[in-house]
Amino acid sequence: MSRAVDSVINWARATSLWPMYFGLSCCFVEEITAWTPRYDIARFGAEVLRLSPRQADLLIISGTVFKKVAPVVLRLYEQMAEPKWVISMGSCANTGGMYDVYSVVQGVNQILPVDVYIPGCPPRPEAVLHGLTRLQEKIQSEERPSARVFHMAGGSQGTVSPVLVDGETKTRDTRGPGMNGIPVRGSSVTPPDFNGTRAQFMWTPPAAQITPGAVENEITSQLVRRFGDAVAPAEKSADMLTIDVDPSRAPEVLRFFKFESSPRFLRLEDYTAVDQSARQNPEDYPDFTLVYHLLAFDPAVRVRIRAALYGRYPETQSIHELWENAGWYEREIYDMFGIRFSGHPDLRRLLMPEGWQGHPLRKSYPGRATEMPAYTIEDARNLQPRAGEQFYRVDEDGESYVLNIGPHHTGTHGIIRYIAKMEGETITGLDMDIGYHHRGAEKIGERQHWIQYIPYTDRVDYLVGAANEFPYVLAVEKIAGIRVPERAEYIRVLFAELSRIANHMAYMGITANDVGALTPNFYAFRDREMIMDIVEMISGGRLHPAFFRPGGVAADLPEGWKEPVEAFLRVFPKRLGEYEKITLKNPVFRARTVDVGLMEKHDAMDLGVTGPNLRSTGVNWDLRKNMPYSVYGSLDFDVPTDTVSDCWTRFRLRAEECRQSVRIIRQVIDQMPGGRYISADYRYVVPERQDMLKDIESLIHHFINVSRGPKIPRGEAYAATENPRGEQGYYVVSDGLGFAYRVRIRASSFTNIQAFAKICKGATIADFIAIIGAHDYTPADIDR
Amino acid sequence: MINLIKRVELLTNCADMALQNMAQLMRPGPGGSMFPVNHTYALSSWTPGVVSFLAFIFAVFLMMAVLMILTGFLGEKRVNENKLRPYESGIIPTGSTPIRYPVPFFLVAVFFLIFDVEGAFIFSWALAVKALGAKAMVQMTFFIFVLLMGLVYIWFKGGLALSGGKNKRAGRR
Repeated sequence: MSRAVDSVINWARATSLWPMYFGLSCCFVEEITAWTPRYDIARFGAEVLRLSPRQADLLIISGTVFKKVAPVVLRLYEQMAEPKWVISMGSCANTGGMYDVYSVVQGVNQILPVDVYIPGCPPRPEAVLHGLTRLQEKIQSEERPSARVFHMAGGSQGTVSPVLVDGETKTRDTRGPGMNGIPVRGSSVTPPDFNGTRAQFMWTPPAAQITPGAVENEITSQLVRRFGDAVAPAEKSADMLTIDVDPSRAPEVLRFFKFESSPRFLRLEDYTAVDQSARQNPEDYPDFTLVYHLLAFDPAVRVRIRAALYGRYPETQSIHELWENAGWYEREIYDMFGIRFSGHPDLRRLLMPEGWQGHPLRKSYPGRATEMPAYTIEDARNLQPRAGEQFYRVDEDGESYVLNIGPHHTGTHGIIRYIAKMEGETITGLDMDIGYHHRGAEKIGERQHWIQYIPYTDRVDYLVGAANEFPYVLAVEKIAGIRVPERAEYIRVLFAELSRIANHMAYMGITANDVGALTPNFYAFRDREMIMDIVEMISGGRLHPAFFRPGGVAADLPEGWKEPVEAFLRVFPKRLGEYEKITLKNPVFRARTVDVGLMEKHDAMDLGVTGPNLRSTGVNWDLRKNMPYSVYGSLDFDVPTDTVSDCWTRFRLRAEECRQSVRIIRQVIDQMPGGRYISADYRYVVPERQDMLKDIESLIHHFINVSRGPKIPRGEAYAATENPRGEQGYYVVSDGLGFAYRVRIRASSFTNIQAFAKICKGATIADFIAIIGAHDYTPADIDR
Repeated sequence: MINLIKRVELLTNCADMALQNMAQLMRPGPGGSMFPVNHTYALSSWTPGVVSFLAFIFAVFLMMAVLMILTGFLGEKRVNENKLRPYESGIIPTGSTPIRYPVPFFLVAVFFLIFDVEGAFIFSWALAVKALGAKAMVQMTFFIFVLLMGLVYIWFKGGLALSGGKNKRAGRR
């Protein structure tokens, strides 16, 4: 009898699982793709994603479990109804995966019991379906729920596997058990203990050098006239005019650059620091260097300003009054390096959780999570995120109240937390708590070699794929002076533009979904899948192709690459018109977006807002046109702009950009040149496959460059590309070794979202969801 | 018991007839003659139907009770601190829930009440439209017109906007 009841209950439960709408990072993109028409998870009875843990019984941990978000994950799990199950999706959730880094929990099974593990990075949508059916099988074959349901002794239901304890029931070693005492590969070059790498004994030519143009010379002479000895133009630079300043006069110099120099440098493009204590020859360097990158729009020119700082925890002057986005940059530098800024109004940690010990980007800080004590369930209970009361005072008698939107919220597109001060439905103040998605990508850059690091760049912004690799390889090529064959350039542009369409499709679908239109989502993901197929056919990967290499790309285009691309170009433009019709002309969509979230031009420029968000305010600025890189200079396309920046315009511009990308891809197909796909300068690149197989010299280069990485000459370079989301920049410092000394990622979302504090004031909660949706960011790109 | 069933049938019939009457009324054209109200209590569930009405109420409460007790009894319950805590995006909630409601919420509630009560007048008139004749029709049209004017007035005064429209710049596109 009880067996019969068991099987009825099990059948009912297994065939109607209710997963929670819960995503952490890249994996969630593939998880949500499993819901779209091609994969159609509805066939398995689990299509209704529940928005609240109260209504859900299945938690799919899709992505990286960060130490900052782990308390939230645990709480959501505990708030779910009984019985409940957990699927751990992807390498990060399973073991930490490729992110053995200070901010990541090495496996969600340290804080939650797990039923099913789905391998992959990220697993394909089919793998999600497989994981789900495995769980259904497990429920139907192993569980005996009737006793529990009728409050009798015995029986089993839900997850019964225990939470694992490091060293007892699990090992955090990603190589598996039994490797105790054997150093993890690459640890000999991990700061601060450099045991030496043979790259020191290799010779390379010195880093590339640019000769300053007329504009640069003019700026230098203006500066020297004005500041005399306080400024010193650097003798050599691989990419742009570089000026060393006395840190005490840096604010003055920067003020001069912003308001007085000609041209005026209106944008603080990037602002970071470098810990110089682990250099090969530390006597040549200060303890820390502050690095400012500025940009002038007309003529388009960048300048780098460096200020040397001395001491263990130096203090310098804040420049938050000069540029609005400097406030966050300074908080980040304080968080990561422990450098303090006098005069900063709110100098607290930005990325790491409150109460975190140490400053992760200092060279003395351990990079790997496995070098630190394991994260336990007690940690997840004790280390709670900063309480909302600490952001805004709660007014007990008045009409205002404080509302947390995120870190787990369907409208926030990932784990980011907004703390809104509300009066009724109106937002009167908005603060953001970021860092829930901090994967330590910059720290990892200091230990993976130049080519190994490419897959990490993919994952910095998981929706745009190969476009992310572009600025990184450009920066490396700038330092070493590598020339890229033309065919490789065209292949890169092909990937970059396909990524743009793929991203904008996801954007259009999800943003329309946010304001109440479910249909565009299903259409948009259909086209996104066509692009994923093309990307997979050429590179072998879907979300994360890891296809670019310094000096070219990883492989030549396969035979028959043209047909699927042409098939896509044939159907896509017409479909795009349809999508525009069902969104931009839809009265509900218009009511939710027109005149909502107005952004002013000077605010956008001052904050360093980039990409379509900047162009929607009337600034005609696109790096592909204004500072052309790769072969964009020879391609014919338009840059859509608008003058009134509301959510509707920002949405419209992205649709229009897709149309321009189609034009570019058509030209790429027609003009695709023959020849090599990677540079012949084998000192720095992975040789072509055929050469490696036939020629001993190439074989040696292949072995060295793949195993311990090419030696890139000492120098530094900054490169930025026009990514779908905005300008993505990489500032790469080499100390003449097989891996970077410092990798700095200037992420577009990081600056773009800082506009929210201003444009959300006075908006309602409903407007707010439309605003953050239309702005287009990914938390991975904010927190890196 | 049989008596009860009869009464339930009677009540259902009455409701049917009332619906048919309304359907007839809605039908346009000259043939739209009124269906004669041939049962004295067709529109009143009170005089003949007190018992059946109570029976309905009893049945509803019984069903609710069964469902609640079953769901309350069946299934495993586990309680922990987090489960008892309100859900606020995965964070420990900030502040307390009894806050002072801002005026716009209150206004919307009041407007709803007003228009809802007036709906009751219109429905009762609609059921007796034939009997009341053209004069009532004119009166009711005037009544609805006044109501509409009220709605338009509220709308233009911004009484229906929750945010007071601060962030909007209307009429651009």
